[in-house]
Amino acid sequence: MMLNEIVSTAVKKFGVGREQLLPVLQYVVSQEKWLSEDALLGVARAFDMSAAEVYGVASFYSFLDTKPRGDYVIRVCRTVSCDMAGKEAIMEALEKTLHISVGETTADRKFTLLETNCMGWCAEGPAMLVNDYVYTGLTPEKVVDILQGYMAGA
Amino acid sequence: MTREKKLKVTIDSRELEVRPNTTILQAARESDVYIPSLCTLEHLPSYGACRLCIVEVDGLRGYPTSCTTPIEEGMVIRTDTTELRSLRQEILKLLLSEHPASCLFCEEHDECKEFQGTIRKVGVTTGCRYCPNDARCELQEITEKVGLTETSYPVYYRGFSVEKYDPFYDRDYNLCILCGRCVRVCNSVRLNGTLSFKQRGKLTTIGPAFDRTHLEAGCEFCGACVSVCPTGALSAKVSKWYGKPDTQVTTTCVYCPVGCRLELQVKNNEVIDVLPNYDSPIDRGLICVKGRFAIPEYVLSPERLGTPSRLTPVGYEVISWDQAIDEAAKRLRGTKPEDKLVMVSPQLSNEDLFVAQQFTREVLGSDAVISSMMIDLGDDLVPFLELVTSSSTFDTIEDARGVLAVGFDSTYGYSPVGIRIKKAGREGALLVTLGACDSNLDMLSETAFQMEPPQWAEFLGSLVDYLARGGKGKVKIRKEWTSDIERISRIFSDSSTNILVIGQEAIFSSGRREIFEKARTLRDKLGWKIIVAHPYTNLLGMLAMGAFPGAKPGEFLKNGDAVTVDLPVIDLAKRKKVVYLIGEGRFDTIPDCDYLIYQNGLPPVASRQPDLILPASLFTESSGTTTNGEGRVLKIEKATEPFMDAKPDWWIFNRIAEKLNKGKLKYKDVAAVQAAIKKQVKGFYGGRKPVEFARINAERATKWLRGAPKQEGQSSGAGNNPSYRGIPLARVVAGMKAIDEWVNTSLLSDKEAQ
Ligand code: SF4
Ligand code: SF4
Repeated sequence: MMLNEIVSTAVKKFGVGREQLLPVLQYVVSQEKWLSEDALLGVARAFDMSAAEVYGVASFYSFLDTKPRGDYVIRVCRTVSCDMAGKEAIMEALEKTLHISVGETTADRKFTLLETNCMGWCAEGPAMLVNDYVYTGLTPEKVVDILQGYMAGA
Repeated sequence: MTREKKLKVTIDSRELEVRPNTTILQAARESDVYIPSLCTLEHLPSYGACRLCIVEVDGLRGYPTSCTTPIEEGMVIRTDTTELRSLRQEILKLLLSEHPASCLFCEEHDECKEFQGTIRKVGVTTGCRYCPNDARCELQEITEKVGLTETSYPVYYRGFSVEKYDPFYDRDYNLCILCGRCVRVCNSVRLNGTLSFKQRGKLTTIGPAFDRTHLEAGCEFCGACVSVCPTGALSAKVSKWYGKPDTQVTTTCVYCPVGCRLELQVKNNEVIDVLPNYDSPIDRGLICVKGRFAIPEYVLSPERLGTPSRLTPVGYEVISWDQAIDEAAKRLRGTKPEDKLVMVSPQLSNEDLFVAQQFTREVLGSDAVISSMMIDLGDDLVPFLELVTSSSTFDTIEDARGVLAVGFDSTYGYSPVGIRIKKAGREGALLVTLGACDSNLDMLSETAFQMEPPQWAEFLGSLVDYLARGGKGKVKIRKEWTSDIERISRIFSDSSTNILVIGQEAIFSSGRREIFEKARTLRDKLGWKIIVAHPYTNLLGMLAMGAFPGAKPGEFLKNGDAVTVDLPVIDLAKRKKVVYLIGEGRFDTIPDCDYLIYQNGLPPVASRQPDLILPASLFTESSGTTTNGEGRVLKIEKATEPFMDAKPDWWIFNRIAEKLNKGKLKYKDVAAVQAAIKKQVKGFYGGRKPVEFARINAERATKWLRGAPKQEGQSSGAGNNPSYRGIPLARVVAGMKAIDEWVNTSLLSDKEAQ
């Protein structure tokens, strides 16, 4: 879908009341993985809001990315309990396998590696999210398996 | 109207009657009860950000913020308990934990306040100058009022780099307390929407979308955000280190015909800053970049002319006023009236214009007092004046249900008009714009038509025809416009009040003659109101004062009959003996001459050097009045002494007349000039109502101008770059130059993109 179609679909689906701004932005992120300037401008126009205000909202929420992201956005929990459960090793495995460090995207635009705050899986740490899917009780080996799955196009 | 019933409430054990529909904070302030607050401000929506205005209310849980809690009948409110005091101190401490506090908590604090700070390396008592807002800071004031003398938290310095790359003001978000005043003023008062909060937590700053510069983001540089900032985070480049002004002088801006009320901030006989006045009925405090930021740098320009001087073969020689007057008199004496030409700027005061025409007529015996404004308009002058003299008041926009703006953009000027239009649009009026490129009204417009200026007249013509026939009969309309014109016509004809705003792009477009004609039809046949947003500040005063060929003082004012403007033919190709320029800095319009007298505040940029230079004072340096675009006579107040030896224009005319032994001009002061005006132009200083002008007969063909430089259709023409007394503001004001360059490059890239 073209960007303007995505925006207009979202607007049709949710409407343009101010309270629908988040659902619309979330919808665009679900399709595009991130909010480009054009996307935010399109949404601002549809909502009759200033670009600054829409950008302000988008930049407030970490899950509304305003930078380009890969197809699979990996978010590793960085909160204390996951940290103590071995988050460092998980991170290392991810970085080694993907050849990127936190905040970066692979050259083929497939993976983005990020950290996130607590996702509520403290009992089963370390935990990470790949797009919307949570993986818990991670070990470095498990991580490599998971990644290989995605690389193979799962 | 029924009077609102007052509410009975108790604040701090006092029984009070307060207005309904207010907040606790407002009610308290109106009853002279002090509650500290940093984020509220009159004219801005309540926000509840700073939490300092907390109070106790019987029956309400916790400590509600008084700025967001509506007042109710019977409320019992406490504003100053021990509990509240210690909470407020704690809140302020937290707030200050992210704000450098060296100016607030310092052992030398009191001494520092007493002995003024200096940044000079000289033997005087020095104080720190770390923050431009020192001694004018609301945070300092509140800290004192809340009684905080030290803080127990370490101060976290956020380390943002200071943003200095935009014109006119700098931004240091390390000092920002996130009260959101600037965001609110930009969005809800200016209806501009440049600013918003960005990011979250300790990374939060304020700025435009995508971290663009303000220039790129469509900021108007109105400075409203700078004025409302309670800290030193936002500060005007020119005035930031001046400290507190000595006095404030209320005057009227003469940069354009809106006539905004300005509060000149004066220190050491210099205008250091200019603030808006939100109580002014004409502009509501919505002044533009020119009034807000382009005055100090102009009047204090290092180029200012300070002494009379004459051209000699080896350059300019400084002479005394006596010599200069002698020289001028010698040149003007004996020449035939047709060999002399006097050109005055429409940005002079009414009084100066009155004396200028009297001087030309009675002393020089000539009727040739013209203005480059007349040359700009050429043979379209009379239809233009006809529209200008019947222009509606700016208030009418507020009741409009339909607005059509042609070639109008209020980003860097005419903002009190532009913002009223935006407001009307936001409140549901039909707003249609017609322009060559994006306008700042487009965001709120129903339809924004973009086409080249030559097509505007045709489009307008089709619309007028369609409206005039009420949709009946056949109207010839271009196919691509038909459905749009039908649609907007329907809304326009249903609306009770429609307004046509003719902007500068339209006034300087090649089809202007026809645009003026269509405007007349809309006004006369369909009852539309017209506002002409032209750049000639005191044009109406010029007409009223008769500083116009063929019209004596008062002749243009309403006294029954229509006026027919009989312009004498003026041939600019014919060489003159003497040309006398008063406040005219443009040389592309003047005829060749043997002797050129130049009376102004700044030197011209021209290949033709003036033979005699007479330094004139500017509008901040002498008193008088100006007439705005609505016909209101507004006061200009002297704020400082004239620069060096500069003199008011009327004074210079007076002296030359004296020398020529024509005893007619004997004005002691401006009041004497005003007394003379009162006699000749009845009711001019009549009061609050606008001066009314007679209908001008616009039917007659008027070919009056010969040998003028061709300038129709040049949108870069004179009127488009804002100037004062013929000097482009962009030449002397650094920020205006930056804006100018930005506008030109973005126009260029727009063109390339097309
Ligand atoms: S100068 Fe005016 S338009 Fe620009 S950001 Fe400040 S308030 Fe908004
Ligand atoms: S709108 Fe006109 S009168 Fe008002 S501040 Fe700007 S230039 Fe001056």
